Amino acid sequence: MEQAWIAGKPATLDSAVAAAAKLLAASRQPLIAGLGTDVAGARAAIALAERTGAIIDHMNSDAVLRGLDVMRSSGVMLTTPSEAYARADTLLLAGEIFGAGEIGSTKRLFDQLARRQGQHGTARRVYWLCPGGELAKRAPNEISLTFVGKQPRALPAVLAALRARVAGRPTTGAAASQKILDEAATGLQAAQFGVAIWSPQALDALTIEMLCGLISDLNATTRFCALPLTPGDNAIGVLQTCGWMTGMPMRTGLGRGFAEHDPWLFDSTRLVESGETDCVVWISAYRAQAPRWRGLPPTIALTGRDAGFRSRPRVHIAVGRPGVDHIAVEHVSLTGTLATVEATQPSGAISTAEAIRRICAALPGEPPC
Amino acid sequence: MLTRIANGRVIDPANNRDAVGDLWIRDGRIIEVPPGDRPDATYDATGKIVMAGAIDIHSHIAGWNVNTARLLLPEYHRAAAPRPIATPLSKAGWSTFETGCRYAEMGFTTVVEPAVSPHYALHAHLELADVPIIDKAILVILGNDDYLLRLLQANESDAAISDYVAWTLEMSRSLGVKVVNAGGAAAFKENVRAFSFDDVVPSYGVSSRRIVKALQHAVTALGVPHPLHVHCNNLGLAGNFETALTTIAAAEDLPLHLAHLQFYGYGKEGDRGFSSAAAPLAAAVNAANTVTADVGQVMFGQTVTISSDVLRQFNARKQASPRKWVILDSDANGAGIVPYDYRRNNFYNAVQWAVGLELFLLIEDPRRVFFTTDHPNGAPFTAYPEIFALLMSRERRAQWLAELPPEALAVTTLPAITREYSLGEIATMTRAAPGRLLGLRDRGHLGAGAVADVAVYEDDADRAKMFRAAALVFKDGELVVRDGRVTQHRWGRALTVRPERDAAIDRRMKAYYEDRYGLSDDFVKVPEHVLGRPDPFERVPCVS
Ligand SMILES: [Zn+2]
Repeated sequence: MEQAWIAGKPATLDSAVAAAAKLLAASRQPLIAGLGTDVAGARAAIALAERTGAIIDHMNSDAVLRGLDVMRSSGVMLTTPSEAYARADTLLLAGEIFGAGEIGSTKRLFDQLARRQGQHGTARRVYWLCPGGELAKRAPNEISLTFVGKQPRALPAVLAALRARVAGRPTTGAAASQKILDEAATGLQAAQFGVAIWSPQALDALTIEMLCGLISDLNATTRFCALPLTPGDNAIGVLQTCGWMTGMPMRTGLGRGFAEHDPWLFDSTRLVESGETDCVVWISAYRAQAPRWRGLPPTIALTGRDAGFRSRPRVHIAVGRPGVDHIAVEHVSLTGTLATVEATQPSGAISTAEAIRRICAALPGEPPC
Repeated sequence: MLTRIANGRVIDPANNRDAVGDLWIRDGRIIEVPPGDRPDATYDATGKIVMAGAIDIHSHIAGWNVNTARLLLPEYHRAAAPRPIATPLSKAGWSTFETGCRYAEMGFTTVVEPAVSPHYALHAHLELADVPIIDKAILVILGNDDYLLRLLQANESDAAISDYVAWTLEMSRSLGVKVVNAGGAAAFKENVRAFSFDDVVPSYGVSSRRIVKALQHAVTALGVPHPLHVHCNNLGLAGNFETALTTIAAAEDLPLHLAHLQFYGYGKEGDRGFSSAAAPLAAAVNAANTVTADVGQVMFGQTVTISSDVLRQFNARKQASPRKWVILDSDANGAGIVPYDYRRNNFYNAVQWAVGLELFLLIEDPRRVFFTTDHPNGAPFTAYPEIFALLMSRERRAQWLAELPPEALAVTTLPAITREYSLGEIATMTRAAPGRLLGLRDRGHLGAGAVADVAVYEDDADRAKMFRAAALVFKDGELVVRDGRVTQHRWGRALTVRPERDAAIDRRMKAYYEDRYGLSDDFVKVPEHVLGRPDPFERVPCVS
């Protein structure tokens, strides 16, 4: 089966690699974007960025950086999926939970909560602020589920009111009924080990900051931690890899001999739409996702086979799916760690890392090390 | 390949050598003077000092905690500005690549990351795989994990505990075991806010003392060369030298290593109820032959504290500077990342600085006191050269003391201490002793058969300048640094131990992970082939 194309026409892997290297070598400002790949792919991509002075970004950077933004400006108390699973007696859900992975992770916690015996006679409870969505209907009957507010857009107001009640201050306005707010405030403070859960895609930074503030307040008297759910395409694994290799998260440029991070300047959509990049390496190994931006600068695509590009990439190499076609290390949402995922349908498809290594080797000049 | 390092002053305390002469290397190992052979390369070391590559036994350089600190701190730039020099740790190097290069440039060739929770071992090893040049190792943290606490609660046998420790060492590919505020992180999850050596973890009824003793016995019984590495309770609190004394007494003639002892050197004397207790602490170490300690020296400046002592970090978060922090209630252990700015004119910080130096100078045997800043907790590792200089010159110390708050000097003994370290003692503390403490028989010395990790320094009267930039560094016999700059990149190995265990533990752990987390235990493994480097591990033998 074909695995490489140049301008839409089937090509050998070697010629596709050579064409990609030629494009990169001629580029004044390359961009490596998408970055939906495993840790090995990310390591290779960042090494390529160092070699070519590229900017690196991930397709889910918005969600990742929103959470990181709060961390970088205040305090956060976190826990892990495993600890939440083994220990939580109270869950606080905030806003809409969506995406198959996120719903799966949350449901797992519901089920565990329903199965366990109450420690010290405490009730196992779930409070859900402004749920919207579908998951709310699927909570098991064995746990007590309290909705506080309804529409996701009311979340900031509900959260502010709840935080006031937890601090013993009166609330004004009608974000939610006083009775339910008081019940929730009392319930959260009675938690032995509470865990707050949200989708970073669904909340803005201010709301996340308010949640972190509420958690901090609750820890004055009890234990409560945050478990933000993780966006897909190994965004957290790529974040970690960027962190250790460059000292910075994604949206980092390596063009000036040191790593510079700027969430606005190095946003890939902005770079493409403003014409500031003249060559894009687009990586979507998990899902064959095409970029969403309009227009397409010369692009080297490393994706699954049918990525549905609006206009043809100059070079397209079909890469294997991490953890499907080949073994992979990635951030696993069930464990909250980097972990090895064995191939479920091992195939000969080339991995992202290997494809990038070959492109790197085909670049003119000496590799630095 | 035959290499000759000619005519340097070779300081090799492990082999009682301190004399001008040649050092010969063949194929990555030190050899005796070869009869008649012509070297392929000769490096003139006339007038220079030749030592084994230095070994750092405790430096937080990799893993989730360290990486979270990176992500927390490089300041958030809205404008396209180069990273400012004032960024915390900018001097230390904030990426894995910089870490390996900066260490090598100072003549360090082996560094131990001392605090990795079992579930984050793969993450730590992936980072270490991207640290160039130097060899490295991790210590795995036990002592707040449900499985061990249950074993102790159920009064299970020593063998059951040893099997579990051996299993954890192998899964995580570690060189040794560390315990961090034993039981403290587990107790914090049950809303306990202070935890001492004889306090018990509520749900398990197990004391910190029992946890430490059980792990100490297991590590010893398994023949793991590095003794149990203990981060005591009550870190940073006034009066906590009592906790350290209690822990030292609990060693009971078995090996025990106390980490960053400086952070436990505090009394309650003086107007502010905070004073140096380094003298009684050093005396206790001097009297306890099986106890070793590293210092965790504080130096002034911005840094970030990275600790698995989640209870301590939670309580310290209010002192965060800049005002942001991350606290993690993790599986088993916890983590806390709290930036901190040690200031010369701050009474408490000045006392901390003095306590570290007092410990270095009052612990008599340089084989039992180890050189650390607990990087980056006391200071980034790039501060080492200045600390060597302070240890080697009472005059230099006097200059520093003159700039500190007098009320701080009044509660320490440092001004009265006249001792000056010799180059030989520095070599013992940073080469011979750590090689021995970690069970690395072919490192830390320059005898025939040793790994050819060699640092050559100018014999500069300014010792800080001398140690900041090695003239030459060889790693496995290959020249990697010249005139303080990396000239050659290569990839090092991670050192591990693999003590014997009863195979039944593997089945028990599989069942335990299913029961406790609803997961396969596969995720705790560190497969060699996913690290992306040839031969990423080297096995260190256990003692029998
Ligand atoms: Zn430490």
